[in-house]
Amino acid sequence: MTLTLLSATPSAPAPPRETPASDAAALIARLARPVPSTTPYAEVRFAHLLKTPQVQHGELDYGGAGKLGKRVEQPYRETMTIDAGSVQVQREGRSTRHFPLDRAPELQALLAGFSALLGGDAATLEKIFDIRFVDNAPKWTLTLTPHEAALRKHLREIVVDGSAAEPHCFSLHEIDGDASVMLLGTLAGSVLPRPPTRSALDAICQRVAP
Amino acid sequence: MSVAARRALLIGSWLALAALALFVRHALVIDSDLRRFMPPAANADQKLLLDEIGDGPASRLLLLAIGGASEETLAPLARGLALKLRADAHFARVLDGQADPAALDPALLPYRYLLSPTLDHAAFDSAFLRSELEQRIQDLSSPGADMLEELLPRDPSLEVLTLAQRWTPAKVPITRDGVWFSPRGEALLLAQTHAPGFDPAAQAAALDALQAGFDALPNSGSARLTISGPGYFSVLVGASTRAQAEWLSAFGTLGFVLLLLFAYRSAGVLMLAALPLLSGALLGIIILMLAFGSVHGITLAFGFTLLGVAQEYPIRVFSHRRADVGASASLRAVWPLLRLAIVSACIAYLAFFASGVTGLQQLAVFTISGLLVAGVVTRWLLPLVMPSHFRDAADMAGLESARAWLAALPRPRWLPWILLAFALALLWLAPTPLWQNDLSALTPVPPALLVREGELRDALGAPDVRYLLVLDAASADAVLDVSEKISPQLDKLIAAHAVDDAELPSRYLPSLATQHSRQARLPDRATLTAALDAALADLPFQPGLFAPFIDDVEKARALPALTPAEFAHSPFGARLEAMLVQRDGHWLGLATLTGVHEPAELAALATANPGQVRLLDLKGASESLIAQYRARILQALGVALLLLALTVAAAFRDLRRAWHVIAPMSLATLLVLAVLRISGVSLSLFHLVALTLAAGLGLHYALFFERKVENAAEGRRTLHATLVCVLSAVMVFGLLATSSLPVLRAIGLTVALGVAFHFCLSILMAQESTTPTVEK
Repeated sequence: MTLTLLSATPSAPAPPRETPASDAAALIARLARPVPSTTPYAEVRFAHLLKTPQVQHGELDYGGAGKLGKRVEQPYRETMTIDAGSVQVQREGRSTRHFPLDRAPELQALLAGFSALLGGDAATLEKIFDIRFVDNAPKWTLTLTPHEAALRKHLREIVVDGSAAEPHCFSLHEIDGDASVMLLGTLAGSVLPRPPTRSALDAICQRVAP
Repeated sequence: MSVAARRALLIGSWLALAALALFVRHALVIDSDLRRFMPPAANADQKLLLDEIGDGPASRLLLLAIGGASEETLAPLARGLALKLRADAHFARVLDGQADPAALDPALLPYRYLLSPTLDHAAFDSAFLRSELEQRIQDLSSPGADMLEELLPRDPSLEVLTLAQRWTPAKVPITRDGVWFSPRGEALLLAQTHAPGFDPAAQAAALDALQAGFDALPNSGSARLTISGPGYFSVLVGASTRAQAEWLSAFGTLGFVLLLLFAYRSAGVLMLAALPLLSGALLGIIILMLAFGSVHGITLAFGFTLLGVAQEYPIRVFSHRRADVGASASLRAVWPLLRLAIVSACIAYLAFFASGVTGLQQLAVFTISGLLVAGVVTRWLLPLVMPSHFRDAADMAGLESARAWLAALPRPRWLPWILLAFALALLWLAPTPLWQNDLSALTPVPPALLVREGELRDALGAPDVRYLLVLDAASADAVLDVSEKISPQLDKLIAAHAVDDAELPSRYLPSLATQHSRQARLPDRATLTAALDAALADLPFQPGLFAPFIDDVEKARALPALTPAEFAHSPFGARLEAMLVQRDGHWLGLATLTGVHEPAELAALATANPGQVRLLDLKGASESLIAQYRARILQALGVALLLLALTVAAAFRDLRRAWHVIAPMSLATLLVLAVLRISGVSLSLFHLVALTLAAGLGLHYALFFERKVENAAEGRRTLHATLVCVLSAVMVFGLLATSSLPVLRAIGLTVALGVAFHFCLSILMAQESTTPTVEK
C-alpha cells in the first residue's frame, strides 16, 4: 500500500486533543485510497453465538465509491464483492449467491460509510456518522457513531485507529456486544494470541505502525 | 305554412335535437369491452381469452417510471404513489421494491420445512447439518452477520432465505430505500388494473385515477411520471385517433358547408342539411340504449360511418326541389326512389341482425333505426321547414353542358367486363396477405414509446404480454401437481435461454403431496437431537443454541399441509390467488412468462403434457377471434347484398333494371378491393365497413342515374344532387385518407375511392346512353 505522507506531522509531541471537525475532514480527505487499491487484513470476530473468537485472513479491495471486495484466504476461501447495491458471495465449493443490499439497511449504511472512508469523502461520512477525532500525533483515532436508527439498532460505533494518512485498525462494536476488529496493512501480519483477546488487539491497534 | 310557423318549427326541431343530445350525453353508457362485440368462442384458447382470463394478466400491467429528479425526491414519490394505488379500487395490485420476500409471515414460519425444497434432496442428518453449520460460522464472520444472528437458532439451514430467493423473480430492478430504480435513475412501479387491457374506457378511468393520485402527492411537480403498458397504449392510441379524426372531420365539415353554400346559394340550407343525419343518429342511439342497455363503442364508430349514407337524403331533396312546384310536391317525385334506397339498405342490414353476434346486432339496430328516422325526417319534416323560395338546381350554370357531355359518353357494353377481368387479375396478383387480423397494426403505437416500453419492461422484468402457460386440472391442488411436474422441464428451457423466467404457482406453494413427503422426511426429536449433537461436535457454537430449531422441526412434523385457501392470507397469497382460476368445476393455473425467446420450445413442452398444459398465444387467439368476427361480417354482407338485390328487383319488378343498379355497385366494390389489394393493403374490419358505406352511397347513384327522367331539367337535378353527394363524400373521406393513422386512412381511402368508382360506373352502366332531351 502506498503511504501518502502529505500530512505534515508535527515535530513536537502534543497532548491528545479533540480537534475541530475541519481537522477531521482534512484527515479523512487524506485517507483517500487510490483506485483500485488492495490491502491485506486480519479480522477477529467476537460473536455471542460462538464460544471462541473467529480469526480470518485475507485481502480487502477498494475499487472506487460503492465498490468493495473482501477476499478471505484463511481459514476458508471466500470472495465477497459489493457493487451497485448488490452483494455477491462466492464460497469455495458452493454456488455464487447474490443479494441486494437493501435487504439489510444496516449493512448498506455500514458499507456506505466504509466506502466514504476509503474514498476520503468526509461529507458523505458525516451524513451517516457522528465523527469524533482524537489527534495524538502521529497517532489518531476516529470514532464514528451512526445517526440512522436502522444502523443504530445494530451498530454502536466504529473506531478507526491510524497514524499519518494510514488507517491501521477498524473496530466494529455492535449493540449486542459482538465486535469485530480488523487489522490492516502491515498489522495484518501481527502475531495473535490463541484465542485472541480484545485487550491484545487493542494493544496492537494502539501501537504506532512501523 | 307561414314563414313564422316554418321558422318556429325549424327552431323547435333543433331544440328537440339539442334536448335529445343532452339526454344521450347523460344516459349513454358506452361499453368498450371487446368481448361483448365478439362472436362466441369457437375453441378453447378463444374461450380462455374471452371468458376466463381476459387478455392475460400481463396486459393489465401498467409500467410506471418517475424521473426528472434526484433519488431522494423520487423515492418518497414512488412510495406515496404505491400507497395511493393500493387504496384505489381500479388497481388489483401494486408492485414496488417494498415487498420484502424475506419477510415470511410469522404464522407460516414453521411451514418453511414444507415450503422449501431443501428436504427434496437432503435429510436433516448429521452430515447435512454439519455442512450447514460450518457455513454458518463463515456467515457469522461476514458483514451481514447481524441479519443471521436472530435467525440462526431457529433456522440453521436458512430455509427462510431459500424461500426468499425462490420467491424473488429472476429479474428484479435495483432497489434503493425500498424503491425500485431503473438503470437511468427513475423510480419504477408496476400497477395491475382490474380492467382488461382491451377495455380502453376502463383503462382510461384507471389512468385518470393514477395521474390524479400522482399529482396529489407533495413534490410531484418536481418529477415526471411516465406510464407505459398495453392499457395505456390503447387509451393513448384511441385518443390520438379520435383527435385526428375530429380535426380532419372539422376540415371536412367546413368544406362540406362551403360546398353546400356553393351548390344551393343559400345559408338556410345549412340549418336543414344536418337535420336528418342528426335525428337518425340520436334516435338510433336511444333505441339502441332501450334495446341493449349499453352501447358498444365499436357499434357507435362503425354505425356512424354506415349512417353516413343518410347525408345523401337531404341533398336529394334540395337538388330535386323544383322552382315551379312546392317543396312537398317536388319531393314526392323523387321519394319513391329515395324510399327504395332507404328500405333496401335497411333490409340489407337485417342480415347483420341475423348474425347472432351482439356487436353486429347492435350495429344493425343502430343503422336501421338511424336510416329510418333520417328517412322520415327527410320526407315529412324537411318539406315543412324548407324556405318557400329555393333556387332550382337545374338552373345552375354549366350543369347542362356537363350533363350533355356525360350523357353523350360512349358506353361500350364490353367495358364493364374488361374492368371485371382487370379487377380479378389485380386481386389475384396482390402482393400482401388478404386479411390484416392484427387490429393493433391499424392503430400503431409510436415507435419511441415502444422503445421506452421495452426498456421499462426489461428493467422491471415484467411478464410477456403475448404468451401465457395455462395449467388445467380438476382441483387447485392438482394444478399445483402439474406445476411441480413441469417445473424441472421449464428450468431446462430457462437454462437453454428459451425463456428468461416462468412464474409457476408451485413456486409459491407446493402441492399437498409434496408437502406431505417433505414432512415425512423430518426426523423426530430424538433423532434430530442426536444428529445435531454429532454435527456440532467440535464447532464453536454456544451449547443449547439450537433448541428453537429442534422445537420448530417437531412442530412442522405435526402441521396440516398448507392449502391454497390458507396460503392466501400470507403476503404471497394474493400472488398465488391471482394465478389460480376456478372455472366450471375445474381449475386453471396461469403461469406468466418473462422474456420468451423460443415460443416453439414452450409449445413443445405443452404438447408433451397433453390436457394439462397449454401455451396460450394471446395474440394468436385474439387474431383468430377477429378472423371469426370478420367471417361473420362477410357472411352478413353477402346475405345483405343478396337481400338488397332482391329488394331492388322486387321494387322494379324488372330484372334488367335491377341489374343496371346492382351491377355497377358490385363492380365498383370489386374495383376498390382490387386497387387496395394491388397497393399492398391487407383488409381489416374497417375496410369492410367502409366498403359497405361506399356501396350504400353507390346504390343511390345507380338508382338515381337509372331513373327515367322526363326531361333534361330533371336530369340536371339528378346530376346536381349526385355531384354534391360525390364531391362531399370524396372531400370528407379524402381528408381522412390523408391521415397518418392507418385506421383513418383505411376508412378514408376506401370510401373516397369507392365513391369515385361508384359514380363513374353508375354513369357508365346505370344510365341509358343519350336520353331524349325534350325541354319542358
